[in-house]
Amino acid sequence: MLSSSMHFSPEERLSDRWRRHAAAFPQSVAVTHWVAGSKPVHWRWGELLCSAQNVAHWLSIQGVRPGQVCALILRHHPWFYPVYLGISLSGALPAVLAYPNARTHPDKFRQGLEGMARRSGLDWVLSERELEPIIRDLMLREGSTIQGLLFPLEFNMTTQTQPYMPLSPIASAESPCLLQHSSGTTGLQKAVVLSHRAVLGHIERYHRAIGLKADDKIVSWLPLYHDMGLIAAFHMALACAIPLIQLDPFEWVQAPVLLLEAVAHERATLTWLPNFAYHLMAERIHEEDLKGLRFDRMRMFINCSEPVRAEAHEKFLRRFGPYGVRAEMLAACYAMAETTFAVTQTIPGQPASQLTVDRSELACGRVRPTSPGPQSRVCVSSGFPIADCTVRVVNDQGEDLPDDQVGELVIRSASMFDGYRNYPEKTAEVLKDGWYYSGDYGFRHQGEYYVIGRKKDLIIVAGKNIYPEDIEDVINGVPGVIPGRVVAFGMDDLELGTEQVAVVVESEHHGTSRVAEIRRGVVQAGMEIGVTISAVYVVPPRWLIKSSAGKPSRKANRERVLNELKAQE
Amino acid sequence: MISDQLKGVILRELHLDDFPLTDQTLANEVPGWDSLSHVRILAAIEKEFAIRFKTLEVLRLKNVGELQLLVDKKLADQKTASK
Repeated sequence: MLSSSMHFSPEERLSDRWRRHAAAFPQSVAVTHWVAGSKPVHWRWGELLCSAQNVAHWLSIQGVRPGQVCALILRHHPWFYPVYLGISLSGALPAVLAYPNARTHPDKFRQGLEGMARRSGLDWVLSERELEPIIRDLMLREGSTIQGLLFPLEFNMTTQTQPYMPLSPIASAESPCLLQHSSGTTGLQKAVVLSHRAVLGHIERYHRAIGLKADDKIVSWLPLYHDMGLIAAFHMALACAIPLIQLDPFEWVQAPVLLLEAVAHERATLTWLPNFAYHLMAERIHEEDLKGLRFDRMRMFINCSEPVRAEAHEKFLRRFGPYGVRAEMLAACYAMAETTFAVTQTIPGQPASQLTVDRSELACGRVRPTSPGPQSRVCVSSGFPIADCTVRVVNDQGEDLPDDQVGELVIRSASMFDGYRNYPEKTAEVLKDGWYYSGDYGFRHQGEYYVIGRKKDLIIVAGKNIYPEDIEDVINGVPGVIPGRVVAFGMDDLELGTEQVAVVVESEHHGTSRVAEIRRGVVQAGMEIGVTISAVYVVPPRWLIKSSAGKPSRKANRERVLNELKAQE
Repeated sequence: MISDQLKGVILRELHLDDFPLTDQTLANEVPGWDSLSHVRILAAIEKEFAIRFKTLEVLRLKNVGELQLLVDKKLADQKTASK
C-alpha cells in the first residue's frame, strides 16, 4: 500500500491523503480499536471516511466552522476515529485533551480547562455526557471562548441521514490542521499549532528514518493527547495507510500484557514506548499470560519521551528474548511536540548504541569512555538527526561544543513549530533565531546524540512531564505548611525506570502528631491536579536551602534529602 | 468487609500509616493509589496470598470490596483444588 499511496506532495492536506487511501483500497483496515476481552473493532478505509464525512456534515449543522478549534475529551471509544477525521474534514482543528481521571478534582479540571480554553483558544468541546455539568458551567462564564458543547458519541454517524454534501475545500496545505499540546500539567500546557504541510512533511521525513514498509503495522497504547501517540502512531499510520492497532492507555497500565497480546495476535511490527513501559512489562507480566505469544515479527520497540536507560532495554530483552524479542528491535528516538515529533532516530535493524562513561567526568560535562564498574554510567544513544533537522550542543553562553562534551541540545528542523499559540513570551524564551532551545542536556559521540538529563527542573513521571512549580503552588495552600517554603523534585525510581515526585515542606508542626495529617494533605493536594506524590518530607522551619535569589533551591534540597533524609529511611 | 491482611498490604505499598478502607472505597480516594501504584499493589497482593490474577479480573475491579471478594474467591478455589 505504502509505495503507491505515499507520494508526498507539498500541496497536499491530510484529508486529501485519507480520501486517496479510501478510494484506492476501501476494504483495507485503517484502524483496529482494541479492547481487552472484546472482539477488536476494525475500521476499513471506506467506512471510516464515510462516517467521518457524516460527522463533518453534522458538525457544520451544529455551527462548527473551518479554522475553529474543537477540543476532544473522550475515553477510548471506537467512534473516536471518525470523529477526529470528521473534525478535520470539516476544516476545523482537532485538539485531543486528556479525559479527567477519577482522582482529578472537578474544580481543578474545570480550572485547567478554563486556562487551556483561554490560552489555546478552544471554540468547541466534543465530549461525553458525564462531563456536561463541569463544561457547561465553564461555557457560561464571562469571557469564555467555548461556544458550544457537543456529544458526538450520541450521533449515529454510521447511518447517513443527510445527502452527501462535499465540503468546501477552503484550507490550503499551509493552513493549520491540528493543535497539539506540549507536555505539562493540564491548564498550563502550551499549545502548538501545526499545518498540513508540517505534519505530512514530518511524516515523510520520519517514515524514511524508520524505514517504514508496506507490510508494517503499528500498535500503540499511547494517549493521543501526547505527540508520540498522536504523530508517530496515529497520524503516521493514517497518512501512510499502515494499519494502526490502538489500545486503551488506561487498560494497558493496569494490564501491560495487553500490548504484547496485540503485537502477537495482529502481527504488529512497530511501537513507541516511554522508558518506564519496558520495566513495567518486564516485571509485571506473568509467564502464563505469555503462553503462545511470539514477537519475532516486530521490527522496533522505540524508546522515547523519557531519558533512555540501558537497564530498561536489558531487562526487556532478558524477559522477552525467549518469546522472540531481539537486541536489534530495541530502538530509540528523541522527540518533542515543538518539532512536530522526531529529532533523532536510531538506525532500523540495529540496537541503540551504548557508551559506558565515567560518571564523575560526566557530572563535570565531559564524556570519557571507561570500562563497566561502580563509577561508570551506561548512556544509550537516541540516534542520528532525521532529514532536514540539525542538532547542536551548546554551553550556557550559546557557544557550540565539540563531540563528547555535555551541553544543551539546540535544534533546527524543517518541522519546527511557529511558536506557542497566544504565548509569545514563552515562545521567545525557547525559540531564538530559528533554533529551539530544548532544555535537555546531552552530547554527541560519533555523530549520534545521547540525551542524559535536563537543564530545567522538569520531572518526568512515566513519560508525563510535570513542572515542580505547579505542585509547589497547590501545596502552598495545605494547612500546616509554611507558604513559599515548599520544594518539589523528581527522584529516580530504579525499579520502575522512571522518576517519582518527592516534596519537602517546612512546618511549625514538625515533630508533632500533626505531621501525618500534613503529609496526607500534601498528597491529597497533588491528587487534585492529577499528580501522585510518592514521598513527603516534613521538616522544621529554615531547613530548606535557599538559592541566591532567596527561593528554596530544588537541586540543593534534593541533594540534602538524598544525603540526610533518604539515607535514614 | 476488608480483611486486616489485605488492608495491611495496601497500606504498606502506599506507605500509609492508616486509612479507612471499606467495601465501597475507590482506588482514587486513597492517597497515592494511582495507575502505576495499582499494578504494584496487585503484585504485592498476589505475593502475599500466593494467588494469581487474570488480566480481565484485574480490569473488572470497581472498588476495594470487589478486590477483597476476588482474593477470597481465589483462596477458596485453591482450597478446593488441593482437596
